Amino acid sequence: MDEGRSRLRIFVALIAVVLGILFLRLGKLQIIERSDHTGKSTANAVRERRVQPPRGRFYDRNGVLLVENEPSFTLYVTPRYFDPTTIPLLSSLVMVPDSVIQQRFDLANKAPFQRSPLQPHITFEALSRVLEQRHNLPGVDYDISQKRRYLTDVRLTHALGYVREISETALEKHREEGYIRGDPFGQGGLELQYEQDVRGTPGSEFKMINIKGQVVADYLEGQENRAAQSGMDLTLTIDADLQAFAESLFVNKRGGVIAIDPSNGEVLAMHSAPDFDLEMFTERLDPAEWDSIRTHPDRPLFNRVTQSVLAPGSTFKPLVAMLALEQGVINRNSRYFCGGGHPIGRGNFFNCLAEHGSINVIEALEVSCNTFFFEMMNRIDVNSLNEIASRFGFGREPWLDIDSSSIERGLIPDSSYYNRIYGTVAERNRGLKVGWTQGNVMNLGVGQGEVNVSLLQLSRYIAAMANGGRLVTPHLVRGLIDPQTGEERIPAAPPSTQLEVNPVYLDIVKEGMKKVVHDHSWWLDIPGIPSMGKTGSAQNNRDEDNSWFIFAAPADNPKIAVAVLAENAGFGSNTAGPIGSFIAERYLKGTLELTPTRRDKLKTLMALNTITEINPGRGE
Amino acid sequence: MRRRYLNLDLISLFAWLSLVGIGILAIYSATHGPASEFFASDPKQNFDNQIIWFGISVVGLLVALMLPIRFFQTIAFPVYGATLLLLVAALLFGREINGAKSWLHFGPMSLQVSELAKVGTIMAVAQVVGMRRPKTMDLKFAFILVGIILLPASLIVLQNDTGTALVFIGLIPIILFWSGLDINLLMLMISPAIVGYFAIVSLPTAIVLTVLFTAFMWWRTRDRRIAIFSGVATGGTVAMAKVALTVVFSDYQVQRILSFTNPGADEFKANVGFHQVNSMAAIGSGGWAGKGFLQGTQTQGGYVFEQSTDFIFSVIGEEWGFLGSIVILVLFGILMIRLLQLGANMKHPFGVLIASSTAGMYLIHIFINIGMATSLLPVIGIPLPFISYGGSALLANSALLAIVLSLHLRKDDFSIYGY
Repeated sequence: MDEGRSRLRIFVALIAVVLGILFLRLGKLQIIERSDHTGKSTANAVRERRVQPPRGRFYDRNGVLLVENEPSFTLYVTPRYFDPTTIPLLSSLVMVPDSVIQQRFDLANKAPFQRSPLQPHITFEALSRVLEQRHNLPGVDYDISQKRRYLTDVRLTHALGYVREISETALEKHREEGYIRGDPFGQGGLELQYEQDVRGTPGSEFKMINIKGQVVADYLEGQENRAAQSGMDLTLTIDADLQAFAESLFVNKRGGVIAIDPSNGEVLAMHSAPDFDLEMFTERLDPAEWDSIRTHPDRPLFNRVTQSVLAPGSTFKPLVAMLALEQGVINRNSRYFCGGGHPIGRGNFFNCLAEHGSINVIEALEVSCNTFFFEMMNRIDVNSLNEIASRFGFGREPWLDIDSSSIERGLIPDSSYYNRIYGTVAERNRGLKVGWTQGNVMNLGVGQGEVNVSLLQLSRYIAAMANGGRLVTPHLVRGLIDPQTGEERIPAAPPSTQLEVNPVYLDIVKEGMKKVVHDHSWWLDIPGIPSMGKTGSAQNNRDEDNSWFIFAAPADNPKIAVAVLAENAGFGSNTAGPIGSFIAERYLKGTLELTPTRRDKLKTLMALNTITEINPGRGE
Repeated sequence: MRRRYLNLDLISLFAWLSLVGIGILAIYSATHGPASEFFASDPKQNFDNQIIWFGISVVGLLVALMLPIRFFQTIAFPVYGATLLLLVAALLFGREINGAKSWLHFGPMSLQVSELAKVGTIMAVAQVVGMRRPKTMDLKFAFILVGIILLPASLIVLQNDTGTALVFIGLIPIILFWSGLDINLLMLMISPAIVGYFAIVSLPTAIVLTVLFTAFMWWRTRDRRIAIFSGVATGGTVAMAKVALTVVFSDYQVQRILSFTNPGADEFKANVGFHQVNSMAAIGSGGWAGKGFLQGTQTQGGYVFEQSTDFIFSVIGEEWGFLGSIVILVLFGILMIRLLQLGANMKHPFGVLIASSTAGMYLIHIFINIGMATSLLPVIGIPLPFISYGGSALLANSALLAIVLSLHLRKDDFSIYGY
């Protein structure tokens, strides 16, 4: 039996060797190379699906919900696993023609292993039908995303901005903040400025994917999933009712308006016309539609409140009046003779609208006498104008809580600017350059020439004129509220500053501005509420003058300051003026109490159309 | 009578029950997991069927335990003959499944007759060895044994079930070993197979093995002829393998042969390497303790084909990890070593041969099956004993165990019928 024992031992050794080999092999795979294989297995079998959080909602100053979210379901296909014979079934479930699905599938099939959208924005009911049939639909799955939903007829287009899939360049820049391809990202306006606050925290769902590419179950029963956290809600300073009213006044017009609270800079209404419908970004963007907006000659994408910098015309005169008083070139009673133009002028240059005769600063403001203000700048150095203008916020980039790339600083020239552009006096004398003259500077006195301002800047300026010299910071957001905790945060904005202006001079200018709306263009005064304002009609290189108006009411305790531009709409007192005055009345009274004249003005206003018709044949 | 029940070997019975139990759980996971609604309906049935076959196996085991030694000796040849007939019948009337014509259908039952042939073959061999007297081992006797094995093996090759046939080939050295063939001769027999494997996987290793083996044989026998023969046999195999790989086979064939050494290579992972890539990903990602029952992403996603049958080990490796895998190996180790001990206790060639050949056959299955699942070996479609789904295999493997247990229960009776 010795022979038998040794054979037994040999065979036991053989078993030990074989099991030992398998033991080592398993150790190699499961212990040493584990992470390698784990990567491989999760790469194909587990898919992390990003759960987009609801973006923060936007409320108006009175708590009216303006913008919220709704879920949007998109069907996806992975062509490698898809069975094209199921196309008729699928299209009957989502209720679209077979050809549509077929077409999308053919497109997706160019990258057969990639998951591509098959049908965007399907209804929840359609999704439910698809899910019931999912066993028969290999290679089909879906994503839930959030899309913006606009609840009121307030458009607020340029202030709100819109949301689109993050661009490659933005992704490059913001990758560290946790963005991935396909995430939504604010485009312009508040959506961009408050992107980090309203985006919320994306969640993750881990799904098991089977070999056919179907989502079959929650990975680890969802233990690893992270819920998405909603973004912060914004309470805007906007008054939805006033905003809608302001928008209605700009139908068929080019221009813009901004109304602020002169005591704190809260923007009550802000509109740039023409605008575009934000709804179009909630669906698959139609490239043709987008193109027609992008290339429209009236530039709907352009924010005329912050980006449009133009010569302000006579709305600049109160500033020049302040400057003249400060510089001591005039006092309250100093008079200058207007004979229908400044003596320095020839032909049409330095003309006045009328022969005003002997006139003081208050009367000059009231009747908007050009001669008087040409003379003021004849007596004042251009750099002094630059100084006071920048004190009032002109020529400097104003702050507003929309994306800063759409905020223009405008231009207030000074002597070095003129030297740079036209050449110095010495250069002129040597015949090298044309040089600049007193004429250039005098032109600034009536807000013409090389002076460019935006409506945003004008709104701060009129507010400061009305409120005793406080330069406020316009802003669109009052507070950020965390929807989970209810915590409120006040966003940081530059503080308002008290300007170094003599209140006596301020009162003089104010008196002139009161007379503008009370006497000269009396229909601009709000019935029963004394107000102040200044119209402007600025020449431009298109056709009709640009119609400007700055306005504040009530004059002695201002609650609203408005700056209005109606492009190529003629006299300030006819178009921009009524718009500003009606907006202020609507805000102060909640309604319009129309006198016969104001009713006529409103009618004329509504009938005015300055929009460029690009496709006259196309009916609504 | 009391002593007989004491002789009932509880250790191997325990190992058997544990392995079948683990197998049923693994099959459940592979067919009834959270995502099983996406599987075809066939594999779902595997779970129910396996339980039925387990029941049949238990009944069979109980019946076998009641039968006397003589019964098994008497039926050895008839069983062998019957399985040969079944193999022929399968060839003639069988239904082809996965390319192999090795299935016979009886009403709702389908039998893989090549599995049953293992039982008949082992019984026949044991009976031949048991009847042999005098107790010598000459070449003529060895050829008879080889013939008994090759007959069913060649029928199985005709059925196109190469994997199962390979098990029979592997059985040859084991049976010759246990029937007393000279160990040197045996080593000469199996050494070409081993160096041949390494000639494919790693040529330097094969050359080193050739030299070591020749030296070893010289050290063992001090017989120059044997040493030279060893060197020629192993070295010749290496040379032939090399020639075959470089000259005889086309590049494509060579690549296919070698695919198991690198199944994840770009040219294989979508076709021949696909099973092994996914199987390795499943097993490797299990790590120490596994992903948990019904939690394997590969298993539940159905990434490994045949995961309830031939690739069942990927389920265990993924969901129960290294520890679970080791438990399986340990249980197999206990079962096989225990079988050898039971055989040795019986002190009769019939018992020794059945017990040890059964252990050897399990060993071949375990090595090839787990080796395949871990890409140590090419894909060879044979089940993991007791664990893979497959009624015929479960029944055949259990029957062999049952015979050994029954023989051991009455081992004292052997002397009566002994030579």
